[in-house]
Amino acid sequence: MSDNVEKYIKRNVNKGINSRIAQKFVDAGLEVMRSCINCGTCTGGCPSGRRTAYRTRSAIRRALTGDESVLSDIDIWLCSTCYYCYERCPRNIPVTDMIIKLRNIAVEEGYILDPHFSLANDIFYVTGHGVPANGEANKKWQDLRESYGLPPLPPTVHTHPEAVKEVQELLKSVGFTELMENAAKLKGERAKKEEKKEEVK
Amino acid sequence: MTEAKNEIKITGREVPRIGVYVCHCGINIGGVVSVPDLVEYAKTLPNVVVGREYKFFCSDNGQEIIKKDIEDGLINRVVVAACSPRMHEPTFRLVCKEAGLNQFLFEQANIREHATWVNMRDHEGAYEIAKDHIKMAVAKARKLLPLEVQKVNVEPSCLIIGAGIAGMNAALDLGAEGYQVHLVERTPTIGGHMAQLDKTFPTMDCSACILTPRMVDVAREKNIEIHSYSEVVDVSGYVGNFNVTIMHKPHYVNQETCTGCGACVDICPVTCGNEFDLGLATRKAIYIPFPQAVPGKYTIDMNKCIQCGLCARTDICEPGAINYDDKPEYVKVKVGTIIIATGWDLYDATELKQYGFGRYPNVINGLQMERLLSSTGPLEGKPARPSDLKAPHSIAFLQCVGSRNFRDGGNQYCSRVCCMYATKQARQYKEKHPEAEIYIFYMDIRAFGKGYEEFYESAAREYGITYVRGRIAEITEDENHDIIIRAEDTLLQTPIEVKVEMFVLSTGLEAKEDADKISSLLSVQRSSDGFFMEAHPKLKPVDTLTNGIFVAGVAQGPKDIPDTVSQAKGAASSAATLMAKGEVEIEPYYSVVIEHQCSGCRSCQSLCPFGAIDFDEFKNIAVVNPVLCKGCGTCVSACPSQALVQNHFANFQLNEIINWALKQ
Repeated sequence: MSDNVEKYIKRNVNKGINSRIAQKFVDAGLEVMRSCINCGTCTGGCPSGRRTAYRTRSAIRRALTGDESVLSDIDIWLCSTCYYCYERCPRNIPVTDMIIKLRNIAVEEGYILDPHFSLANDIFYVTGHGVPANGEANKKWQDLRESYGLPPLPPTVHTHPEAVKEVQELLKSVGFTELMENAAKLKGERAKKEEKKEEVK
Repeated sequence: MTEAKNEIKITGREVPRIGVYVCHCGINIGGVVSVPDLVEYAKTLPNVVVGREYKFFCSDNGQEIIKKDIEDGLINRVVVAACSPRMHEPTFRLVCKEAGLNQFLFEQANIREHATWVNMRDHEGAYEIAKDHIKMAVAKARKLLPLEVQKVNVEPSCLIIGAGIAGMNAALDLGAEGYQVHLVERTPTIGGHMAQLDKTFPTMDCSACILTPRMVDVAREKNIEIHSYSEVVDVSGYVGNFNVTIMHKPHYVNQETCTGCGACVDICPVTCGNEFDLGLATRKAIYIPFPQAVPGKYTIDMNKCIQCGLCARTDICEPGAINYDDKPEYVKVKVGTIIIATGWDLYDATELKQYGFGRYPNVINGLQMERLLSSTGPLEGKPARPSDLKAPHSIAFLQCVGSRNFRDGGNQYCSRVCCMYATKQARQYKEKHPEAEIYIFYMDIRAFGKGYEEFYESAAREYGITYVRGRIAEITEDENHDIIIRAEDTLLQTPIEVKVEMFVLSTGLEAKEDADKISSLLSVQRSSDGFFMEAHPKLKPVDTLTNGIFVAGVAQGPKDIPDTVSQAKGAASSAATLMAKGEVEIEPYYSVVIEHQCSGCRSCQSLCPFGAIDFDEFKNIAVVNPVLCKGCGTCVSACPSQALVQNHFANFQLNEIINWALKQ
């Protein structure tokens, strides 16, 4: 077959419904999503979706019908959790919670964006803060503090090494560290597979 | 019905011989528990002499099995373990009666609803529960006593509450059959919501053209007495003999002498919003709701009237019909049956803030659109948008407003008429303005009635109405009062933003705001959606659980005009069935006073909610009126000397059940 015809052929036909992800929603107590009538109120009013390719309803529907590509889709990270959809859903489905759960599932399965991973692993874990006050970017604030005779860093977790330890202990005991390690592992494996594929080609 | 050949004499002193009949009910019972085992178990219980199983005991053959055992003299008490007694108690009682056994020597064990349905997956558990139910039913059967049904006369007259299309049709049918009908209407005119509609789907016939002749028929029918501008304020009594008090609200205009000339309207200085046009037009303080109103006599709205006296001037009202001192009048009538046809209220869309109803002038509801389209409406059939009275070039309709909504304040049900009325209104507008852009935003189109799907198809094909599958998320208004709509076209999976010049909310139907008043007045239940509850969703759709009271039209649940008329005719037929017979049987579950135990303390008399207990001054004892007694048992539990016994639920019968229930 010539390349000319090949490029028009698409083979992504859904062969039945896979409820593996749907089951995870049910296990999380979100079985109310089954009453969705796909009215599109969530997408229609979504301020993010108006500017990006993020489609609230479609993302959830893809997840529930077993289209696992949604997990690796960057779009699900574009929800700004403004809760418009949550407030308006006529079926009273906690739509934003569904999206957050969808992200949880994605991370569990190793679909985490690099910036998110480094924020979690390199900044949050190390400093105890999601938005740390140190580094070049915060020089201005530090100078300002010093001009008032204050120490450059405010008295937070970061300035108390023993508190940072406590935070790390906490993250370990709730399984956060394990979650990150697992995500990194899965992500690495997937990257290797991709590399091999490329080599074969 | 064949009458029994040989009546079997039962005094209650003979040894009970109980027959237990366990029904498979197809697989409803037989598929969950072992019916043969239940029969064997039943046979081990004292006094059980016969135990049998059958696929369907309610079938003709099943009934014959029981009948034969009775006729052969094998048994003198019957226990059927099957479905709910609400389903088949009457069936099996008739079996007993036809075989010559007193029908109250029958007891039903509900092992379907109470055991096998609720424990479908727990076969052992269901079996244990079924055994308990059979054990208790046999215990009760052992202590049953024969009772005689009582018959009461049924007045050949009917009270119909609400004179919309449902009430009017029921009234016309009953009137034609020769029964006296009291048709009570709250507003000054009969006709109801249908009078507000312009055309009706799917035939597009003019609503007024088919309704007003019916209204005139109602007024002409000599057996129908119209109580317009009236409300039912009190109902007492029981099936066949309801005593009803109707309040005629003061019209402040003598309805006998008013000629309906309308001279008073021109001079009346008070202008206010017209309810009939949903505030889109005005009326005066003295008014008739619309020109074809029946009766066509005037009424003064005293909340608005300033009593200036202009209309009362003799040169204005020549017959001198105006009377500012008019007082409410109370009329007492006796009726045999009652039909509730109180209709509906429109869902108030102001609750849904994101749609701007009540805030933006060009956002209106479906009934307002109907008035705008109507040739008798405020714009005489030349629809325009409220902000500048210009005909809009584009209109969007949004479906399911307030319906299928599980949030607080929303209605969970589908209102059944909005898909079609929006389609109809869109078509009507397109007929007048073929160049207009019309969008209907829908979730699902429900075109289920006769001719509805075809109507919907031609709206898209012939009229070019654009159906967009998606619920509108929010709207905004621009400086021209145009409406900007944001939604998702769910079929394209893409957000859309359209600007339209008018926005119509297809609001749904709701139960009447004060339906609870009627509900408590008539002791009639309502379902969770607020509408009146029918006795059985399939088999008794127009009956209520209160004997002699029926329901018709949207009062029972949202429905379109054909369904409403059908149901009204059904309700009329059910009421007529009762009245044609002339008498009705009442279950003899009343309380009985044991005279020598009664101390005459009158505790029971003050507690009886039905006023069924009188006092015999001479004997100094309480006396129960068996017809008024509903068998609630309040008096029995209140009596300090245990002098009251309730038939069929006597202490010795209930104790026997409890003793056996607790026996290991």
